[in-house]
Amino acid sequence: MTARTSAVVRIWRSRQPRTRADHAYVVYLLAMVALVLVVPVIRAIAMTLTSPYGITVLTSPSAPDATMLAVAGLWAGMLLMGRVRGPALRPPFLAHALAASDMSRMDSFRGPLLRGGLIVVSLVTAVAAAIGASLAVSGQTTLGSATLFAVAGVCVGVVAVVAWLAGQALPRTAAVLAPVLFTIAALTTQVSALHPYTPWGWVSLAYPSAAPGFASLLPLVALTLAAIAAVPTLMDLLSHSGLIAQSTRWEAASSRVAGMELSDAVSIYGAVPRVGRQWAAISSTTHRTWVFLRRDAVGAARTPIRLAVGVLAMMAAGGLLALSLNPEMPNGVLGAAASVILFAALGPLTDGIRHAASVAGDLPLYGIGDGSLIAHHSLFPLTLTVVVLVASSLIVALLIGHSALAAGVAALVLGLMTLAARVSGAMKGPLPPALLAPVPTPVGDLGAAARLAWALDGLLLTAAAGASVTLIAASPFPALIVGVTIGGLVLWRWRHRR
Amino acid sequence: MIELKDVTVSVGHAVLLAPVSASISPGDALVIRGRNGTGKSTLLKVLTGITSPTSGSALIGGDLVTSRDRRMSREVAAMIGLPPMAPDLTIADHVLLVATTWFDDPKAADGLAHDIVDELELAHLAARFPHELSSGQTQLFALALVLARPFDMLILDEPEQRLDPEHVDTVIRVLSTRRDRGVTLVIATHSERLADAIADHTLWLGEAA
Repeated sequence: MTARTSAVVRIWRSRQPRTRADHAYVVYLLAMVALVLVVPVIRAIAMTLTSPYGITVLTSPSAPDATMLAVAGLWAGMLLMGRVRGPALRPPFLAHALAASDMSRMDSFRGPLLRGGLIVVSLVTAVAAAIGASLAVSGQTTLGSATLFAVAGVCVGVVAVVAWLAGQALPRTAAVLAPVLFTIAALTTQVSALHPYTPWGWVSLAYPSAAPGFASLLPLVALTLAAIAAVPTLMDLLSHSGLIAQSTRWEAASSRVAGMELSDAVSIYGAVPRVGRQWAAISSTTHRTWVFLRRDAVGAARTPIRLAVGVLAMMAAGGLLALSLNPEMPNGVLGAAASVILFAALGPLTDGIRHAASVAGDLPLYGIGDGSLIAHHSLFPLTLTVVVLVASSLIVALLIGHSALAAGVAALVLGLMTLAARVSGAMKGPLPPALLAPVPTPVGDLGAAARLAWALDGLLLTAAAGASVTLIAASPFPALIVGVTIGGLVLWRWRHRR
Repeated sequence: MIELKDVTVSVGHAVLLAPVSASISPGDALVIRGRNGTGKSTLLKVLTGITSPTSGSALIGGDLVTSRDRRMSREVAAMIGLPPMAPDLTIADHVLLVATTWFDDPKAADGLAHDIVDELELAHLAARFPHELSSGQTQLFALALVLARPFDMLILDEPEQRLDPEHVDTVIRVLSTRRDRGVTLVIATHSERLADAIADHTLWLGEAA
């Protein structure tokens, strides 16, 4: 960082000087998070990895292949992430002041790049080290081999950071490159003769085994050095408008998250339509049901990737739900997971409901009542839920030899409850001021927990719905209680919509 | 007929709208003027039922104003700020959808939607999505949404906002046409030109607080 950049950053930081008490509070927060969250999670991961089941998975013949796909997936994912939120990011005004000056991008944005990069490299290295250490402790590999894999983890992390930066600097190229890279990786995984010639193959050859794969590390190190050498060029390619756009969106999303408006935060990064502008979304017909079905279907198809992901996720949710009805499976956990996936899948299909809810809280715009408008906009996601969710659930139930009727009923009930949770979420409005008040208890202030529960109520209720429908054959009451709760919330929010 | 009788709006000790009385006959154009903070938007919110008066009464056609009354919704079209827009619909889709929900005859809806888009000079933007519009174009689009329906009374808050002088003239032309058709207009504005062009009566609001 040059003296000028340092001076600018110093002025920026001095606008809100932190006292010693502020620093102490940050240290306290970090220590508490580490104690309450990080340490138990690390302990659970370590216990799982060193358990007989964990060792069986890590030593299975498919583990190196899975590593290849994970590495390629990480690099492709980082390329895509850079398009929406890159590592070279500063607050909007600071980004503008630095990007509009004659200082180089490397001087101006090296700090956030290094900080973001350090986090990514640390996490990837930690994962590689944990795998290596687990195998070394259980006697499946040598310490040297485990160390080599940790070094490979450092290389994978560094390349991932450069891919992240490349996605920010070259967003259009990254959009094409990411799926191509992952497809090639998926194909070459099947051909072991190609492993010594692909970057992900080098990582798989360094996977901890009886014989350390030292040779494969050399090209990986060379790739890492080449990636590092490309950083100044990529930094110079960062455009002023791109930096400001990413920075502004990130700050807006961060402030929404701070206000617990999570769906608003997600919508900031939502895909905007660019195709299908000539498609006839509104039909000239007197049949209102058809008008809204078509309007929502065409609207959703205008963001085709988003729609496809939603439909695929809905199919996965249906399949998982059918699996969750198998008595030998952890029913509640799988049911909750299926419902959470379904809740996410309904996001791209319920734009109409969210629009109707915003109209319901505003001056009359349409010639039909607010309730009718929401009901009409519910038709499209309801139709897809019935067709896709129920069908996928039935198919999987038939494939695994489970009752198709039970799977169909469970899918239908879960679909209705999840859609109702989406309607409730659409009418949520801003965080009620009453939730900003502290909730003192003997174990501390539970105000933050209350705010988090409010922010995630749709997801939590849906998860409860998913767990409850897996019990529906034994007792319908849990599903009934969750259904009444969601319905009550919809009615309450409807009455208080303005 | 609109009747305002000593309408005031207060929040705690803050007076958002000082007492105001007025009477507007059907087909008249009332322009509300005043400096920032004098309560122009608040008065329009009272007239559309968004805000209830702290004291006094607001009557339209002899009935107290409530925003969700079906007859009121049918008779009064209003724009106070931008209406909600759907990100997945084009400008033409929006206007046609709004019109379709107000008319039983699809041809009537289609005809009105096309007329409004042409009248507000939005035809070349018809295939754009809302996020692809400039702020001035968004203002005209919002006006198109409010006009794409039948109404007897039109309430607008600063319709000239964000517009260049040429487009202010477009808005004046559109509003004058509605007034000539017998629509009652209630417009809050800072534009001298707009006020001079359409006002039958002018209501000046004083300092609210």
